[in-house]
Amino acid sequence: MSDKTSIETWKELAEKQLRGKPLDSLNKTTPEGIEIKPLYTAKDLENIEFNNSMPGQEPFVRGPMATMYAGRPWTIRQYAGFSTAKESNDFYRKNLAAGQMGLSVAFDLPTHRGYDSDHPRVSGDIGKAGVAIDSVEDMKILFNEIPLDKMSVSMTMNGAVLPILAGYIVAAEEQGVKHDQLKGTIQNDILKEYLTRNTYIYPPKPSMRIISDIMAFCSKEMPGFNTISISGYHMMEAGADSVLQTAFTLADGLEYVKAALSSGMDIDVFAPRLSFFFGIGMNFFMDIAMLRAARFLWAELMSQFNPKNPKSKMLRTHCQTSGWSLTQQDPYNNIIRTTLECMSAVLGGTQSLHTNSFDEAVGLPTETSARVARNTQIIVQEESQVCNVVDPLGGSYYVESLTQSIVDKVREILTEIDELGGMAKAIESGMPKMRIEEVSARRQARIDQGTDTIVGVNKYLVEDEVHIEVREVSEEVRDEQIARLEQMKKDRDNDKVKDALNQITKAAEADGNLLEACLAATRARASAGEISDAMEKVFGRYVATTQCISGVYAAESGNSELVESLRKRTKDFKEKTGRRPRILLVKMGQDGHDRGVKIIATAYADFGFDVDLSPMFQTPEEAARIAVENDVHIVGVSSLAAGHKTLVPSLIKALKKEDASDIKVLVGGVIPPGDYDFLKDVGVVDIFGPGVPVTDSANRTLNAIGA
Amino acid sequence: MKEKDPEFFIQGVLKNNRRIIAKTITLIESSLARDKKVSFEIVKKILPYSGKSIRLGITGIPGVGKSTFIENLGLLLANSGHKVAVLAVDPTSRKSGGSILGDKTRMEKLAAHENTFIRPSPAGKTLGGVAAKTREAMLVCEAAGYDTILVETVGVGQSETKVSTMVDFFLVLLIAGAGDELQGIKKGILEIADALAINKADNDNIDKANKAKKIYEMALHFLSSSSSSWNPPVVTCSSILENGTENVWKTVIKHNKLMKRTGEFDHKRKEQAVEWMWNLVDDGLKKKFMETSIVKKEIPKISKQVKQGLISPSAAAEELLSYFNYKNILIGT
Repeated sequence: MSDKTSIETWKELAEKQLRGKPLDSLNKTTPEGIEIKPLYTAKDLENIEFNNSMPGQEPFVRGPMATMYAGRPWTIRQYAGFSTAKESNDFYRKNLAAGQMGLSVAFDLPTHRGYDSDHPRVSGDIGKAGVAIDSVEDMKILFNEIPLDKMSVSMTMNGAVLPILAGYIVAAEEQGVKHDQLKGTIQNDILKEYLTRNTYIYPPKPSMRIISDIMAFCSKEMPGFNTISISGYHMMEAGADSVLQTAFTLADGLEYVKAALSSGMDIDVFAPRLSFFFGIGMNFFMDIAMLRAARFLWAELMSQFNPKNPKSKMLRTHCQTSGWSLTQQDPYNNIIRTTLECMSAVLGGTQSLHTNSFDEAVGLPTETSARVARNTQIIVQEESQVCNVVDPLGGSYYVESLTQSIVDKVREILTEIDELGGMAKAIESGMPKMRIEEVSARRQARIDQGTDTIVGVNKYLVEDEVHIEVREVSEEVRDEQIARLEQMKKDRDNDKVKDALNQITKAAEADGNLLEACLAATRARASAGEISDAMEKVFGRYVATTQCISGVYAAESGNSELVESLRKRTKDFKEKTGRRPRILLVKMGQDGHDRGVKIIATAYADFGFDVDLSPMFQTPEEAARIAVENDVHIVGVSSLAAGHKTLVPSLIKALKKEDASDIKVLVGGVIPPGDYDFLKDVGVVDIFGPGVPVTDSANRTLNAIGA
Repeated sequence: MKEKDPEFFIQGVLKNNRRIIAKTITLIESSLARDKKVSFEIVKKILPYSGKSIRLGITGIPGVGKSTFIENLGLLLANSGHKVAVLAVDPTSRKSGGSILGDKTRMEKLAAHENTFIRPSPAGKTLGGVAAKTREAMLVCEAAGYDTILVETVGVGQSETKVSTMVDFFLVLLIAGAGDELQGIKKGILEIADALAINKADNDNIDKANKAKKIYEMALHFLSSSSSSWNPPVVTCSSILENGTENVWKTVIKHNKLMKRTGEFDHKRKEQAVEWMWNLVDDGLKKKFMETSIVKKEIPKISKQVKQGLISPSAAAEELLSYFNYKNILIGT
């Protein structure tokens, strides 16, 4: 039987099984806009651009290495940072003993944003989302008894890259380790910070210069160190689909390459040290294909610079399973989600992987949940036998075809970005951010409508809440950090520090290498905050422009009954009280995750609320003042970085001081259920954890203001 | 708080109590009859304390950088001791009736400055309505001691014309485009402008901005200006450079001094007051008209006939107006 007739026969059989419904009714369109058929055949391979390609060779679709996991499995690299350097150090050493091969440092938000722990704007954030590092003294504790000449260290740092990288290098120097022995990665991907996470310090232009300076220094002194990890992860977490994630990440990468080239570097000197970081979500085959497509496109993009070293065209990547797909409801389900995402990353051919802990929708991981997360990877690696074959899905009709579809879609966006004048210009125009937020709002609407299933959230709900243990961050961290900082400032030669800091400012004004200047200051015991300030004098601090989409949520919901009933409630409220319900959404402290707030804003406006947005990084007092001036009915605090126990009570106190206790306060985001009582006791009227449909939260918001 | 006692609000406003100023503006914006009555009382009593400010209207299409401009200009003024109030009008969705009020995200420092008061308000469904409310809110801010009032409106269209009738100086913000300078700008808006400012004249943009400045200067040349003694200038400015908006303010001051010297300042304010009265009369008449029971009853029927082409629009209007006379007002309401 020829191939064609067998397809015809299949069609007939399928239509018979469908009892008269057309075969097309089985087609699905993904959020990326890719049409998925129920069956793929050899015919679908005909137009693939990378048929018969081989692993380890351009265009690297089947993997950057020739032997892939058959030779050596991916690196299990769990990102973690506990509040203090000491705790984190204990944790790393325990994990290294338990089979982890590299370590990955998470820093707290004040460190990211260039503030020392004694800065007045950061009191609620110290040690919350990771480890607090104020100086090289903290760095030395962090890496105590960890041999930095052997251990690969990954650091998630973008804003305060210079003081942190300098701290790491000086800590190594004081261990007796030479620069060229250091290996690891610093994220150093500032462009995506303007898109999603907002942990930048300076405006884009000087930030790009910092990156060039780091690349220039490291390519000479630290050849084994990856100077940048171009990250799509945060875009995915902000709601980007796989096509957007790939397009914007590659476009960021291209921008860094251009910056390095224009600072006079040779492509083959730095390009082989570029690494990537992708987020892996719940669409199993999509993200396998995404990694394959990304490798293909990167090789294609890099060809324009005519590198001689094939490694310059090779996309190597770290991956992390999605935090966004984790639910607070029925949280043990998250282990299964993470396992699927882990498989997806592995079949896509990642070089290293972080698997999330099942409790991360609720709070910071405990020792148990961290062990389960790590073991997820170990079991896949050592029990499942998937490592034996290179790119086991290569040649799959569906996966190859899907890879091609992603390539095509991403190329369209890359062209669009090119027309805007490159990614830096595109970011200025607000295009990527708006695109991500739009996709994100649509997704939320589909979840709220039950079109996209999330078990335990909109389907198969459990009656009783499953309680899990959550790790607490002690409030004493701040005092400890400040004490150590003060001690260091007492012991050091202040004239020398002042001089070194002036040198940094000078280098910022002219064109000396900033990393070299920061190393000198770090050796003299300047604090991370002081080093950041020395540059801020010249560069200024970046203030984001917030744009907000509107109408998207309701459009995706098809103006459903739920939306209509909410519109009626807001209208009734206006008729009763003389104005629409007015809510102020605030981000306090250094937590820059604004995806949630944006979705709530656009959805609530679609329901007929008047929605006020605060600037990012507010103090509780500033937030209270806006609430008072705008005279809102209620303030919605969004908290994803564990600052709620300090910031929310301060906000309520500040409102009271302004004689505005009638303005209600509610909290949304990642709040451990154990903290609900605490928050309610200080006066919070309602709390929305992850997974609460926006339509529900809107109704409960209206209840809270007596609508 | 004694919610409905006008005296309470008046005292609070005069003492510059932030909470009470805000609550007073809420009352002014309220659609409830009982709130309107209270706010009417308040506005009447604070009127003698108002008027001692420079009123600056600022408009421009979305993306032109209005909020950031106001942040920069506002800080310049607030840091030199001025008390600055910003009233920003944000567009409202026709479908849902809701609004997103994000101005303060771009006025981070100004919003936290002790010398300022910033109030964003939803435009609501009727543009004329918001203008009246903004005007009253402006009086409240003046009575509370703010000496500079910045009124920001979004977009292009009717709201600009309304705002220009309540301010002393109307500024149109523009950005330099690529050769298509005059497109998308309504001639009417240029006619009511007291100055045009080309924003984002910084870094790589300076040349483009200067070129745009020349083109607009030419264009203004052909339009008649609103005052015989003032030719609206075109200036360039930047919201990201320190004091990048200073020359705009200098222009405002120059205009202010000149207008006071020629007497046009007082004249304009008096004219505006009369115009405002007529606005209120228009609104009131329309409201009363719509509330007349016979009109209410006839509107659907007559509208349908107009749609079907059974009667002409002018005949229909004639007919509806004929139901509306002094007697009907009394009976109807």
